Amino acid sequence: MTYSPPPPIVKALLPFVRRFLAHKFHLVFGIAAVPLMAVCDIWITVKIAGAIDRLEGSGDTSFVPNFLAGLFALAVGHSIFRFFQRWLIVGVSRRFERDLKQELFDRLIRLSFRFHDKSRSGDVVTRLTSDIENIRITLGPGTLMYVLNAMVIVPGSLWVLMQIAPLLTFCMVVPLLGVTLVIKTMARRLHRLSTDVQERQSDLGHRAQESFGGMRVVKAYGLGARESQAFSQLSLASAAASVEMAKARGVMQALINLAHNLAFLPILFVGGIAMIDRTIEAGELFTFVDLANKAFWPVIALGWMAGLVPRAIASAERVQTLIDERSEIEEAASPVRRDELDGSLDLERVSFRYPGAARRAVDNVSVKVRAGETLGIVGPTGSGKSTLLALVGRLYEADGTIKLDEWPLREIAFETLRRSIAYVPQDGFLFSASYRENLLFGSAEPVEDDVLLELVRQAGLAEEVSEFPDGLDQVIGERGVTLSGGQRQRSCIARALAADPRILILDDALSAVDTETETLLVGNLERAGRGRTVLVAAHRLGTVRHADEILVLEEGRVAARGTHDELLERSPWYRRTWDHQRMVEKLSGELEEL
Amino acid sequence: MSDAPQPQAVFRRLLTYARPHTGMFLTSFAILAGLFVCQLSRPWILKSGIDGPIRGAEAARDLAGDGFDATPWLAELGWWAAGYLVVVILGALLQAVQLRHITRTGQGVIHDLRTELFGHIQSLDVAWSDSIPTGALVTRVTSDIENLSELFTSGLVVLAFDVLKIVVVLGLLYSVSVPLAFVVTVLIPLLVIASILFRGGARRAHGIVRERLSTLNGYLQEVLSGIRVVTMFGREERVSQTFAGHLGSYFQANLRTIFLFAVFFPTIGFLTVMIEGAILWRGADALSTGALSFGEFLMFWLWVGMLLGPIRELGERYNVLQSAFASAERVFQILDERALVTTESDDSKSVPPFRGHVRFENVSFAYGEDDVVKNVSFEIPPGKTVALVGATGSGKSTLVQLLLRFYDPREGRVTIDGVDLRERDALAWRDHLGVVLQDDFLFSEPLRDNLTLGRDSVTDKTLSDALRVSTASELIQRLEGGLDTVVAERGVTLSVGERELISIARALAGNPRLVVFDEATASVDSETEARIEEATHRLFAERSALVVAHRLSTVRRADIILVMHKGELRESGDHESLLRAGGLYAKLYALQFADLD
Repeated sequence: MTYSPPPPIVKALLPFVRRFLAHKFHLVFGIAAVPLMAVCDIWITVKIAGAIDRLEGSGDTSFVPNFLAGLFALAVGHSIFRFFQRWLIVGVSRRFERDLKQELFDRLIRLSFRFHDKSRSGDVVTRLTSDIENIRITLGPGTLMYVLNAMVIVPGSLWVLMQIAPLLTFCMVVPLLGVTLVIKTMARRLHRLSTDVQERQSDLGHRAQESFGGMRVVKAYGLGARESQAFSQLSLASAAASVEMAKARGVMQALINLAHNLAFLPILFVGGIAMIDRTIEAGELFTFVDLANKAFWPVIALGWMAGLVPRAIASAERVQTLIDERSEIEEAASPVRRDELDGSLDLERVSFRYPGAARRAVDNVSVKVRAGETLGIVGPTGSGKSTLLALVGRLYEADGTIKLDEWPLREIAFETLRRSIAYVPQDGFLFSASYRENLLFGSAEPVEDDVLLELVRQAGLAEEVSEFPDGLDQVIGERGVTLSGGQRQRSCIARALAADPRILILDDALSAVDTETETLLVGNLERAGRGRTVLVAAHRLGTVRHADEILVLEEGRVAARGTHDELLERSPWYRRTWDHQRMVEKLSGELEEL
Repeated sequence: MSDAPQPQAVFRRLLTYARPHTGMFLTSFAILAGLFVCQLSRPWILKSGIDGPIRGAEAARDLAGDGFDATPWLAELGWWAAGYLVVVILGALLQAVQLRHITRTGQGVIHDLRTELFGHIQSLDVAWSDSIPTGALVTRVTSDIENLSELFTSGLVVLAFDVLKIVVVLGLLYSVSVPLAFVVTVLIPLLVIASILFRGGARRAHGIVRERLSTLNGYLQEVLSGIRVVTMFGREERVSQTFAGHLGSYFQANLRTIFLFAVFFPTIGFLTVMIEGAILWRGADALSTGALSFGEFLMFWLWVGMLLGPIRELGERYNVLQSAFASAERVFQILDERALVTTESDDSKSVPPFRGHVRFENVSFAYGEDDVVKNVSFEIPPGKTVALVGATGSGKSTLVQLLLRFYDPREGRVTIDGVDLRERDALAWRDHLGVVLQDDFLFSEPLRDNLTLGRDSVTDKTLSDALRVSTASELIQRLEGGLDTVVAERGVTLSVGERELISIARALAGNPRLVVFDEATASVDSETEARIEEATHRLFAERSALVVAHRLSTVRRADIILVMHKGELRESGDHESLLRAGGLYAKLYALQFADLD
């Protein structure tokens, strides 16, 4: 037996078709409405044609009221089916979109940092927006409404017309088929041209962005005229692309209408001869005219859809790669679960290299931190401080062993691990949500407002928060109050404390806070951190001054270790940096007072 | 809407942009008119064919009986069919060129408006462009202008034509049968109302969908950028629920839109059948007595069909007009802005060759309320280097901007060889300067263009000299494409230091009399640093220079150092004497120039 692979259209789209089928109930009724609607539509034409035949020159109008009542009933039926068709089918397609987006989102947020480091969030958003939209349109309204409708109304109309005059029907169908093929090819060309138009427009945007963004250089060198000239060129190119697109669209519209209008030519000529021969009646001629109108647009839609399928396949493949993406950091098969850990850490010969990087970001680091102790990590930019902290949080899988209490990280349940750790990022990341929601982000249990306010006070934010118009419900971020870098960092500290963790990780979390506030915070943190294990990476040595042990990292390796006082003796880098930072502090203070 | 300027005024102003393209617009109208005539004549030909040869032959056959010869009737039918074919093909040809022509017309207007707007923004003050986010300016010259292009293509011309179509077709309907046409006239407003109601609703519903989609995507982007925090706290389930919430409300908004459409299309369909029923009802007597022939009936029927399209579109066209007007207002608002720092003055369009003697006389300046430069006086003697030193926000950069004439002083004056800078043409003045700004901007163009900047004074010779003197030529040799290497956005293919070196070469290439230099603060590898120092030194040689100094070598070599603090000029002198004095400079020196390593 030979195995033949399924054609790409099936292979790419099948998984998504399955997701559509999940909504059986809506789907069954929506699809049932399509033929019913088409039948009503054709019936209306046949009924009117019958009336014309009975009326013409007969002098008999007695049947008209009954006819109108029947027509009304058909129109009502048609409208109802049409409503349900759209409501149910497009509705299902939106449900499909919702479910798929949720599925992808849930997958995305659980992917490892190897994925997040290399993917740009803009690309991911595009996949979740336009790619899913392409699939939705093609499988949903495209196939289930337009294609299905065409599949019913076109054969239905042809059947009715064949009963009347087979030859005439045949003459009408030929231009119709021709135009379907033309549209299929044109749809692709049009898509390419419209991409071109968009690209030209984004060129314009880029140029404007550069010109306006570099306004000072432009002005300093008197480049206004040159910029205008360049912009004008791009503007012309953009206009030309639009015209090119209009040209193609114009030709396509013309062809479609030509095919449509040509269908009436055999009606006039062949139908005319048939009428002269008395083989068809006036009403039957009317049937041809009206059904030609009604069946024409579904055929056009068919051609249009066929042109869009390649795009949908490409989108489906892209979305599928995202679905297939797996995190290489997995939970152990029967992981260790604990309600409470002590919080001691033991790093043994821990190393890590980023994919594609030449050297290790963390190189053979060993250190023990007893529960409740504070470990400081310092070193120049790029020495591996943040990476080491990320390894403790198991954002990446480290070589060597990291033990939390007596268990290696890999054996601990994600839930247990994450609940034990609270993390304060360098960038002071907060959500555009209420302040309370942000503070509670990491905490498993609800926290009383006075407890939150106490944490806010410890983070040195009491004054700021009391000035929020909405108190703890204040929305922050773009749509609310904007916080400074230092305020954001301090909020992140309050958030971490609210999670009441065994282990507190501070990743240069006070870099944007001024020295004076920092001193105050360090004091507060020491009190709040009492009993917790604290890992703190810092640029400013003052932050780690009181740590039980301090690691000095250089290019990922431990260059020196000890307490603050020991390091002042042992590490020239530490000593120099300490003196320099002290001096800068002192001078800045003096300058401020002048 | 109440605070907006009068739509008529906006409209009239828009028309002034259309005026130069009157010929094109007239041709567009002519093509549309031809197309319209073709469309109208098709039902008429069908009618003529049916009522003429077909019905004629039927009648003749009834008279003649078996000896009936159909040939002449068939011939006549053939002529009508041929006529139909001609009209259809002509119509197709006209339609094929119609859209292109109207787009070309519209794009012509748009091009004019867009380049005018762009040029105008270029001519406005730096102070003004600082007050508006770059993104908003970009939107003005892109999206807003695109909106207007809709107006000039599908908007105005087609709308005018749709209205004309409705009137003409109605007129034709009356010419066929007054009672039938009357019934259509009575029912048509129902369609119009349905269409307008729907379009209004659809626009609002779409607005809500867009808004919620952007919330949804915004949240997604936010989670992705904060993925570290999400993972570290193990909060996947929670953000998933929040996402589900946003997704749900987006979905609900979609359902509303679907409902609107699901109601609208059947409603229009239903009303159409009702109109058709009404035509049959009113036409029943006339058809049965033969007062209305089948051909006439069919022609009437097809014309009514032609009426429905434009009516359905009315709502849509109205939307286009509305959004185009809103865009036009925003565009005109910018075009109405006037520059305060005038770039041209009457008495001197160009600046004569000068010695480069700059004098700041009691200059004060404020961006807003408070002076950031307070009563500052100093001079740059010809050929001398003056270095500005001070903490962030001390007013150094403002002095540079005043010299570049991005702004004019609030009080006092800046003179060049004794002439007030305000009396100079700003563009011509800047032509004489060599400028190196901090984190200097490079364009996404070949390096060569970035260096010459289209200046006439820069020849191949001066360029290669400049590259050699600045030692940038070695850097360029290392690049694969040499001078033809295209610099990526904001110059990211080059390091900060390399960019500064290129900027120095760019300034050197113009052989300026006066150099304005704002040194970069970012740390640079020592090799590049050494090159920059050397190049800077050569750039300053025998030229007047004002430099915001961040490098030790610069302050050491400067002829005069001005120490700025909180907007005031506190100290001045050379490096040695200032250091000895042990004042502000000594502190700043320790802070900024004494190296950590």
